[in-house]
Amino acid sequence: MDRKFIKNVDWTLVALVALLMTFSLIVLSSASANIGADRWDFVRKQALWMGIGLAAAIALVFVSYQNAARYSWYLYGFTLLLLLSVIVWGTDINGSQRWIKFGTFQFQPSELAKLLLIVTFADFLSKRYGKLNTITDLLPCFLYMALPMALILIQPDLGTSLVLVAVMMGMLLIAGANKKILLSLTVGGFAIISTALAGYFFWGLSLPLQDYQIMRLVIFFNPDMDPAGFGYQIRQSLIAIGSGGLIGKGLYNGSQVQLNFLPEHHTDFIFAVVGEELGFIGAAALLLLFMFLILRSIRIALDARDVFGSLIVMGIASMLLFQVLVNVGMTISVMPITGLPLPFVSYGGTSMLTNMMALGLLLNVHIRRQTIMF
Amino acid sequence: MGKGEDTVFATPVQVKKRSTQLFLIFAVLMIILIGRLFWIQVLQGDFYSAKAEEVRLRDLPVEAKRGTIYDRNMRSLAVSISVDSVVANPAEVRRRGQERETAQHLSRILEMDEEDVYEKITRKNTGFVWVLRKVDPEKVAQLRQLSLPGIDYIPESRRYYEKGKLASHILGITDIDSRGLEGLELIFDQQLRGIPGKLVAEYDAANRELPQAQHAFIRPVDGHGVVLTIDETIQYIVERELDKLERERNPKGATVIVMEAKTGRILALSNRPTFDPNERHLYPDASRRNRAINDIYEPGSTFKIVTAAAAMEERALEDTEHYQCPGYIMVDKQRLRCWKHEGHGQQDFAEVVQNSCNPGFVTIGMNLGLDGFYRYLHAFGFGTPTGIPMNGEASGILVPRNAAKTIDLATMSIGQANAMTPIQLITAISAVANDGKLMKPQLVEKVIDAQGAVVEKFEPEMVRKVVSKETAEELNLILESVVTYGTGRNAYLEGYRVGGKTGTAQKIKPGGGYMEREYVASFVGLAPANDPEIVALVVVDAPEGMPYYGGLVAAPIFRAIMVDTLRHLGIQPQVVNQQAPTAMMSEAVQEVVVPQLTGLDIYEAEQILSGVTLGVASEGFGTRVVGQLPKAGEVVSPRTAVILYLDDHEDVFQTEEATETICPDVRGKTIRQASELLTRAGLSLEIYGTGLAGSQSIEAGTKVPVGTVVRVDFLPLDEQGP
Repeated sequence: MDRKFIKNVDWTLVALVALLMTFSLIVLSSASANIGADRWDFVRKQALWMGIGLAAAIALVFVSYQNAARYSWYLYGFTLLLLLSVIVWGTDINGSQRWIKFGTFQFQPSELAKLLLIVTFADFLSKRYGKLNTITDLLPCFLYMALPMALILIQPDLGTSLVLVAVMMGMLLIAGANKKILLSLTVGGFAIISTALAGYFFWGLSLPLQDYQIMRLVIFFNPDMDPAGFGYQIRQSLIAIGSGGLIGKGLYNGSQVQLNFLPEHHTDFIFAVVGEELGFIGAAALLLLFMFLILRSIRIALDARDVFGSLIVMGIASMLLFQVLVNVGMTISVMPITGLPLPFVSYGGTSMLTNMMALGLLLNVHIRRQTIMF
Repeated sequence: MGKGEDTVFATPVQVKKRSTQLFLIFAVLMIILIGRLFWIQVLQGDFYSAKAEEVRLRDLPVEAKRGTIYDRNMRSLAVSISVDSVVANPAEVRRRGQERETAQHLSRILEMDEEDVYEKITRKNTGFVWVLRKVDPEKVAQLRQLSLPGIDYIPESRRYYEKGKLASHILGITDIDSRGLEGLELIFDQQLRGIPGKLVAEYDAANRELPQAQHAFIRPVDGHGVVLTIDETIQYIVERELDKLERERNPKGATVIVMEAKTGRILALSNRPTFDPNERHLYPDASRRNRAINDIYEPGSTFKIVTAAAAMEERALEDTEHYQCPGYIMVDKQRLRCWKHEGHGQQDFAEVVQNSCNPGFVTIGMNLGLDGFYRYLHAFGFGTPTGIPMNGEASGILVPRNAAKTIDLATMSIGQANAMTPIQLITAISAVANDGKLMKPQLVEKVIDAQGAVVEKFEPEMVRKVVSKETAEELNLILESVVTYGTGRNAYLEGYRVGGKTGTAQKIKPGGGYMEREYVASFVGLAPANDPEIVALVVVDAPEGMPYYGGLVAAPIFRAIMVDTLRHLGIQPQVVNQQAPTAMMSEAVQEVVVPQLTGLDIYEAEQILSGVTLGVASEGFGTRVVGQLPKAGEVVSPRTAVILYLDDHEDVFQTEEATETICPDVRGKTIRQASELLTRAGLSLEIYGTGLAGSQSIEAGTKVPVGTVVRVDFLPLDEQGP
């Protein structure tokens, strides 16, 4: 049994994630060299979180994902409580309460919530598979996701809410929802958001957005505005990536990063470090790694034993891909700035733990795929 | 859920189809991302690389050392000395957190307002701020000891005019960045300036300079030196006399120019009021006006030399003894008065000049006619700038030719109606002194590089021949008679043949007409009259009190300057047989004891000598007197020139008791060369004749006591033996 179990692990997926993590540690050793007293401090902490994450992933593999279906409503309820607890006991960091502190250890519940919601929503949808043809059919699905999303928005964490929107749309597509309705909802959503923004800028309509969020949008459309203030980060990021050229300035040699011109270069803007020091070749290689990861996930989804499994996998794939798009997109000015980390690469404990647990789920679905030969 | 638990083909076809579709969407988005990356990194990489350099590299200009201005004997007049400027890196100051304390120290030592300093050293968004530029070395030393965080010192140079007011109008001034603003500093700015270097330094995001980072130092190229035609010693003599004039007569202004007759080189030029370029803020702006070149005046009788030269050249003179002066002359029914009310009676031409007789000169001018007069006026260079390398040269104002009437011709002939600059007048008179050749006034001899090699040389430049050699020589002798017998008697110099002309002009009112009580007293003269070497012009604007005549105010200054200048240049007295005129000079002939001067600074020595009515001549380069002749304690007659030997003659005077010297060979030398050789050997020259030295009374190589008189016979070239 054990030997077969090991044989059934998707080692290609594991190898891809291992490559991403190696990438992360190497780049971090450069990106965090000028922060803190000990240059290896961040690398050590990141490695520690990788270890914790790995343990969690292994633990997750052993219990079949199919059990989760039985407790999906309890898990949904737990998720809502978790998000409520942030609002009650959350710690303010950079103007939003995304963290819960346990002593010196701090933790971002919304990260874990993403994963829990993918699993419970997968169950919710698999039961409605093939019966999602009208607005009336779809409405409960939206309400199901709207509640946790609202709690995350209150924190406020716009980035994670948007991830959930992407995950929801991806999963609805897989679950066989009416494509026309999904498309018109997407188009309609963009139209409403655009109108609201136009209303804000031209007619002073008030929006439930923070000033800095508005400014990020403004800067996205006018990247050269306010180069010393709101536009500083994106300008420095573009300079960092652009000046990296084809082959980069070499690891530890990026002037933008090492001279601190680029803020947050070990967390949200770590892709700019890759771009500056490893050049187009390094940056494109990293994106291709992600692409292979997604491709591998699709493979798992196609082979999954049931719709529930396929939905979990495609939910995770949507989550990872959306985060990569948004994170990389903001460093090269094709997306507005949002505080989303680059999966498996950015420094950050909760995010690493979540991503490793996602890996565990992917492996879990893969091991219990339909073509298991005993 | 238990629905699909046991189904083998649990994944519906639709899920597979939709998963593939979703993957395609993902792939398209990913390709867009990679495409954008390619655009930024590969296609626009150079643009962003330049931006990355821009955000972290700063240039600091490094001043080139400005070239030195020397006098003709390579004595430095304007030099650049290294001084430190205090600068701050505000980011560093803030980071170190002692802003207030640092500001207090700086404001105390640099005597600046504390809040000002505080604002500067904590300024946002910059990594470089000047706190104070070009600070005294002692203050910088004090600051360095405190090792203030974020405060640095960068070397710059400050212009220093070693001799203070000496030749200040010629040298001019520079600004804080050592760029020329006025005078030669401005005209020769390009040559003096050099090429600034730069220091490229790398800064981080917080504007902290990175000590081990990319630094490039592009060395500045030092500026060239400029060698003037000015002779520091003569300039000093001129300054001394003008200071004396200011003390005694407090005029509104004064100008003296000394010019080398044969070349147009200016040996000295000074104006009053003057200023010290080192402390120019202490003087009113008007004191920087170079009156010799920027201002015009009506020259009065000194101009009559030009009228005389023109008339002589045009043979427009009356027959001898035909000038009648009843004290006035009628021109176009107007009565022009002579300065001597009772008139000069019957005079010949030389007497007309000696007496500076107005009716005489009016007659001469009328004989010339308007056309003739204007031809010479223009030929002598009036109405056009001389082209001297100075800023703001005025061209003068002439009565327009087509508007000129007979009465204008009459007044112009006696130096009225036309206005000119002092430099124009002396240049014209120099033409008379130089066989009729008008030279372009020259201030700069050459431009040299840091190694002393000549970069650019300025040769004397003849503008045109104005009158014939014969006319010039004859007029020089007439001018000598003006000094010997006429109105210029106060310029008489014992032992020298001096020619010249006085002038006393009423000043023009700003609105036209003449002022009641303000006069310009002037004197222009040349020496030696038989072969002029030196021409000098003295213009005194509105001296206080009486007398105000040129002959009484300007001539004595000319005389004092000339006596020391001629001796300094080694132009020896030639005439011993001439009687001093029964002068208004009232100098009690007494004996003077030579003071001890060895070991003093040359300026102190010169001060002391002028105080005891002794002349001065210097030999060699430097500023310290290492020897003197005659020696201290010797008794000599007043106005004897004491020769001061400077630094580079030290070896000669190592033993105080150098009593013997070796007579040099002067045969074949000119008077001046012989004089130089003998002076250097500590011997005196007695000149006989003119031309080249034929024989000397003491044989070359003989050991003789210092101070022995050597008689040398000079023969004109054509009388030299084969």
